[in-house]
Amino acid sequence: MIWVTWRQHRPQIFVTAAFLALLGALLLGSAVEASWYVSAHARPGCPEPALSCGDLAAALARRYDAVYSVFGWMPLVAPALIGAFWGAPLLGREYERGTHRLAWTQAVPVWRWLAVKLSVLGGAVVAGGLLLSLMVSLWRPVFRSGGDSTFGNIGVFNMVGVEPAAWWLYAFALGTAAGALFRRTLPAMALVVIGVTVTMFTLFRLSDHYAEPARVELSGTVVLDDRDARLVRAAWVEPSGREIAEPPDSGCARRVDVGQSGKNAEAWQACLFGKGYRYAVYYQPPSRFWRFQWTEAGILALASAALGGLAVRRTLRRPG
Amino acid sequence: MRPAMEATGLGVRYRRTWVLRDCSLSVPAGRVAALVGPNGAGKTTLMHAAVGLLKPALGSVRVAGEVAFVAQDKPLYESFTVAQMLAFGRRMNTRWDAAVAADRLAGLGIALERKVSGLSGGQRAQVAVTLALASRPDLLVLDEPLANLDPLARHDVMRSIMAEVAGRELTVLLSSHVVSDLEETCDWLVVLNGGRLQVSGDIEELLDGHLVLTGPDGVPAAGTRVVSASRTGRQVSMLVRGAPPLDPRWRARRPGLEELVMGYLRSPESAVLPHLAGVDA
Repeated sequence: MIWVTWRQHRPQIFVTAAFLALLGALLLGSAVEASWYVSAHARPGCPEPALSCGDLAAALARRYDAVYSVFGWMPLVAPALIGAFWGAPLLGREYERGTHRLAWTQAVPVWRWLAVKLSVLGGAVVAGGLLLSLMVSLWRPVFRSGGDSTFGNIGVFNMVGVEPAAWWLYAFALGTAAGALFRRTLPAMALVVIGVTVTMFTLFRLSDHYAEPARVELSGTVVLDDRDARLVRAAWVEPSGREIAEPPDSGCARRVDVGQSGKNAEAWQACLFGKGYRYAVYYQPPSRFWRFQWTEAGILALASAALGGLAVRRTLRRPG
Repeated sequence: MRPAMEATGLGVRYRRTWVLRDCSLSVPAGRVAALVGPNGAGKTTLMHAAVGLLKPALGSVRVAGEVAFVAQDKPLYESFTVAQMLAFGRRMNTRWDAAVAADRLAGLGIALERKVSGLSGGQRAQVAVTLALASRPDLLVLDEPLANLDPLARHDVMRSIMAEVAGRELTVLLSSHVVSDLEETCDWLVVLNGGRLQVSGDIEELLDGHLVLTGPDGVPAAGTRVVSASRTGRQVSMLVRGAPPLDPRWRARRPGLEELVMGYLRSPESAVLPHLAGVDA
C-alpha cells in the first residue's frame, strides 16, 4: 500500500522535493554570500544596531529584500499548490478516471487505503512544511540579527515555526475533501485556491483575538517603540483617564497635511500631549510568538482533521 | 451447496429513484452466470452492491470468500507499466498469484514493460482480467467485459476466462446486453429488467422448462402459462412454460437462450424465480 502511494504520487513528491532543494540552495547561497560580505566589510562591533553600522545594515537589507521578493509569495501560493496538486487529485483523480473501482475492490479495504494515503501524504506534506520553516529560520538571522520581525510581518510569521506545516496540511486536507465532494480534480483545485485564500484572510483578521491585547499609554509620540508588535487598535486618553476615539474640542488646531508631509499632524499631536492627553495603543507583543503560532496551528490542525474526516466519511458511505 | 453469491431483498436507491428493488437471488458456486438485461436495468448496480462499491438501502448481498471485480471501463492506472500494475495487484491482495499473472500475460503476448496508456482496448481488458484472476478470487465479477471490443478480442477474452474457470473452483458473474456472447459459455442466467429480477436459474433447466409455440391466433394453448406473445398477421408466436398443448394446430419447439431472454424482457410482469432457501417471501 505504501508502495502504491509512492508510485501514484511520485510526480508531486519529486516536484515538491526539487522545489525545496532549489529554495534551500538559493537561501544557502545567499546566506554564505552575505556572511562573506559581512566579514569583508564590517567594522569592529558591527553588525550592531549602532548608527555607524548603517551602511552595512543597508547593504544586508538590499540582499535580504532581493531574496525575499523571490519567495515572499510563498505563504499563500505554496499551500494553494500543495492543496491543488497533493490534495485535489488524491480522490478526485481516482473518481474521474474510474480507477476507484479498481483500487477499492482489492483485498485491502477502503478505510485502509484511505488511512495509508492520508497519513503518508499528510506526513510528507507536514515534513515539507517544517523543512521550509527550518530553512527560512536558519537563513533570516544572517541578515536580521537582533531586530526580528517574525511576528509583526504576517508573511514571515507564516513561513517560520510550525505555520508552514499547519498551512500545508490544511490545504492538503481541503483539497482531499474537495476531491471527494466534486469527484473531479479541476473544480477541487479551484476550491483549494479560493479556500486557502479566504482562510488566510479570515485567520489574519481573527488573529487579533488569539490573546487579549496588551495596552500601553504613550506620551509624546504615537509610534510604538516595537516594530515587531502587531497593532490591534489605538485611542486617545483624556487627562481624566477616559478613553475616547477622537478628542472632540481639545482646543488644538488640526490642519490637513499636503503630500507626504506629516508636519501638521505632528503639531496637532504635540499640542494634545501638551494638554495632558495620552495615546493608548493596544497591541500584541512579539513575546507571544509561540502562543500565536500554536493557536493558529491548532485551528488549522482541527480544520484539517474535520476536512479529512469529511473526505473519509463521504468516501466510505458511497465508494462506487 | 453454498451459494457463491446471495442477494436478499436487495434495494438500491439513487436519490429518490429505486434502481434495484426487492432483488433476491443466489448464484451457486462453480457457475458461470450471465447477468443480462437492457441498459439501465440495474446490472451495474447489482454488481457494485456485490463487490461492496455501494451500500444497499434495503436488504443485503453476501459473497462467500474473496471477490474480484473488473469494472465496465476496465480501469487501470494510465501512467503505470503493465509490470507496475501487477505490483499494484500484488501489494493490494493477500492471495496474489504472480505466476498466473506472468504466464497469462506472456501467453497473450503483452510485454510487462509496456505502458498502460499504450495498450489497445483488448489488451487493456486482458490486463484488467489478469489482475482480477491473479488475486485468486472465489467470485469473479465482470461488468460488460466484452463491451468496446472487436469480435476477435471478444472471443479471446471470453476463451481465456473460461480456461481459468475450467482449471479451478471459480464462480463468475458477468454482465452483457448481447446475449449471443454468452450462449456458449454461461450455465446460469439472471435477467434484470427495470430494476427488478425476472429470471434466475440454470440455463439448461430454463430452456427445458420453456417452449416456443407457433400457431393460429386465437387458439387456446391449454396447460401452459404464457410468458409473452408476438403476433405476425394471423400467426402467433409465444414463449410459454409447461407441457406442449395437445391441440395439433400448435407447433412446439425448445427456445434458444436469446428467445428466452427476449420473451421475458418483452413482458416485464412475467418472472421465473426459484424458491430461495433461507429467504422468506
